[in-house]
Amino acid sequence: MRKHFLALGVALVLSPSLVAQKIGVINSMSGPEAPIGENITNGIKLAEEDLKKKGYSTLQLVWEDDTGKPQISMSAMEKLATRDNVVGVVGPYTSACSNAVAKLAEKYHVPLLIPAAAKEEITRQGLKFVFRMNAPADKYASSLIDAAVGLGKPKTIAFIYENTDFGTSTSKTAKEYVAKKGMQVVSDVSYPKGSADYRSTLAQIKSKNPDLVFMVSYVADAILLMRQSKEVGLQPQAFLGAGAGFTTVEFAKETAISENVISCTQWTEDVSWPGAKEFYTRYKAKFGKEPTYHAACAYASMMVMAETAKGSGGDRAKTRDGLKAGKWNGIMGEVKFADYDGFTNQNDHQMLVQQILKGNYETVLPAKFASKKAVYPFPKWK
Amino acid sequence: MAVFFQSLISGILIGGVYALIGIGLTLIFGVMRVINFAHGDILMVGMYLTYIIFTMMGIDPFVSVLITFPLMFAFGGFLQKVFINRILDAVAQNQILLTIGLGLIMSNTVMLIFTSDYKILTTSYSSSTIQVGGGVSVSWPLLVSFLITAAITAALYWFLLKTDTGQAIRATAQDRDAAQLMGINVKRMSIIAFGLGSALAGTAGALISPTYYIFPQVGGVFTLKAFVITVLGGMGSVVGATLGGVLIGITESMSAVYISSGWKDVVVFVLFLLVLLFKPSGLMGKSRT
Repeated sequence: MRKHFLALGVALVLSPSLVAQKIGVINSMSGPEAPIGENITNGIKLAEEDLKKKGYSTLQLVWEDDTGKPQISMSAMEKLATRDNVVGVVGPYTSACSNAVAKLAEKYHVPLLIPAAAKEEITRQGLKFVFRMNAPADKYASSLIDAAVGLGKPKTIAFIYENTDFGTSTSKTAKEYVAKKGMQVVSDVSYPKGSADYRSTLAQIKSKNPDLVFMVSYVADAILLMRQSKEVGLQPQAFLGAGAGFTTVEFAKETAISENVISCTQWTEDVSWPGAKEFYTRYKAKFGKEPTYHAACAYASMMVMAETAKGSGGDRAKTRDGLKAGKWNGIMGEVKFADYDGFTNQNDHQMLVQQILKGNYETVLPAKFASKKAVYPFPKWK
Repeated sequence: MAVFFQSLISGILIGGVYALIGIGLTLIFGVMRVINFAHGDILMVGMYLTYIIFTMMGIDPFVSVLITFPLMFAFGGFLQKVFINRILDAVAQNQILLTIGLGLIMSNTVMLIFTSDYKILTTSYSSSTIQVGGGVSVSWPLLVSFLITAAITAALYWFLLKTDTGQAIRATAQDRDAAQLMGINVKRMSIIAFGLGSALAGTAGALISPTYYIFPQVGGVFTLKAFVITVLGGMGSVVGATLGGVLIGITESMSAVYISSGWKDVVVFVLFLLVLLFKPSGLMGKSRT
C-alpha cells in the first residue's frame, strides 16, 4: 500500500514537470530597483494570464529575484539554465544585470529576451542567444533631436546634464548626433547632482539664446531645472528632456513648469499599437497603478517568448531560431529582432516622442502614432 | 552684464539662507565648544516638519516658520539636556562621535517613516519671479526667505546684545567658568544656545523647502556647507557666519557661470583654504589660546 502511495506521489510530483514548459523570469523584485521591477513583474503576470487564456496551459514560470545585483542575476541564470531546464528567460531589468546575464545565456545556449535595459553594448557583442525588446540608449537622443528638427528649424542647442555616467553618456551620443545634423552646440554644461541653485548656469545659457535646450536629469533635479528656467526666463524653441526625470508622473503634475516639455519613451498608453489602451486599463484595474513603459516591454517580451517556445516544442535551439525568424505585432508595435548598425537580435523599436499637454503625457511624434499635435515653438512663459 | 547681475543676486539670496545655517552652528560652537555634526540633519528634520505641516494642515511654508521655530527650539533643547550636556567635559572625539550618531539616528528614522523618495513641496509661488529690469529676474520665494533670514538675524543680534539672557549667553561663550562664578546658570544657557542653533537650522530648512527638494540624506550637503561657512567666518562669530554665508553663496553662483558648474565646489574650497592660509582664525575670528 505504502509503495502505491509513494508511486502516486512521485507521479504527482513528476507529471506537471513532464508536460510543463518552463520559462524563467529574472527581475529586480527587491532592492533599490524594486519600484520599476514591480512594473515588470506585473506586466509578466498579465502576459501569463493571457497566455493561459489562449490555451497555453503547460506554461510554467520560474521567478528569480536578482535584487538589482549582477552577481545574483548570474547565479539565477545558472540555476534556470542547469537545474530548472527552462526553454528561455525573460529579464533582467537593469543594464548591469542584463549585460552580465547575456554572456551566460550564450554559454548555456538559453534564449534570453531582455525587456527594458538601455545600455547599447548588450546587443552589440554578437551574442546569438540574446534578444532585446526595447530601444537602446542612443535612440533617446536621436529621436528627440529628430523630433525638434522635424518641427522647426533649430540651429543651436545647449546641453545641461548631471555629471554622472547616465548624464554624460546620454549627452555624449546626443552631441555626436547633433554634429551630424549640422547643429551648433552653444553651451555644454554638466552640474553636480543636488545643487540648490542652477539659476546662474541657466542665466548663462539664456545669454547664448539657444534654439533647443537638452536636459538629462533625475526627477527632483528635472523639476528644479525647469522651475529655475522659468525664473530666469530661458526661452528656447523647445525643452528636450532625455530620460528619467522628465517622464515621471511627479514631473507632469508640476503643470506650471512642465507643460509643453518634450521627452521620449518606449511606450505610452495612447499610442495606436494594437492592445496598448486595453493593456493600460487592465493593468490599472488589476494593480491600482498606472503602468510604466517597463510593464509594456515586459508584457510584450513574455508574449513573444512564450508563443515562440510553445511553437518550438520546448527546444532551446528551435526557440532561438523562432525568435530570430519571427515577426509580431502587439502592444509594443511591430517586433522583429534584426541585425543592424552593429547590433545583433535587436528589435528596432520605434521610440515615441511625447509632450506634456494639460498635465498629461501625449504622444506627438511620429505622426502615425500621435494622439495630439505637438506645440512648437515653446510658448512664452507666463 | 545681465548674467553677472543675475548670478550676483541669486548668489546673495541663497547666501542668506546659508548664513542662517552657519549662524546656528557657530552659536552652538561658541557657547559649548562642541562641533555639531548633526546640524544638517537638524535642518533636514526642519524640512520634513515643514512638509508635514504643509501637506497635512495646508499651512504655507513661510508662515509655518512660526510653528517650526519653537518646535525645533524644543527639539534642540531636548538634545542638549539629554545628550550633549553629558559630554561637555569629554574629549573632542567623543563629542564628534555623539553628534554624528545623533545625526545618523535622525536621518535613518526619517527614512523609515517617509522612505528615501524625494519629496517636492509645490506652492502656488514656487516658480514665480519679479522682473527687476535688464533681463534680471528674482525668485519670489527666494527673496521672501532672504527677507525672513535678515529679520531673524537682526532679531538674534538684538537678543544677544541687548537682553540679559543674550548677554549671559555671550558671557558663557567667552569664559564658561568665569560666567558660572558670576552666577550665570551655564547649563541653562547651553540649552538655550543649542535650542536656538537648532531652531535656526530648522528655519533654514523651512525656508528652502519651497525651492529645493526634500530627502532624508539632504543633511550631509548642508552640514559640510555650514562648516565651511563657520570656519571661514571664524568659529563662534555670528557676524562672521553671516558674512561667510553670503560669500559662499556668491562664490558658488559666480564660479558656476565664469568657470564651470561642475567646478564650483572646487572654487569654494580653494577660497576656503586661501582664507585659512592668510587668516587662520577665519575672517572675523579672534585667535584663542
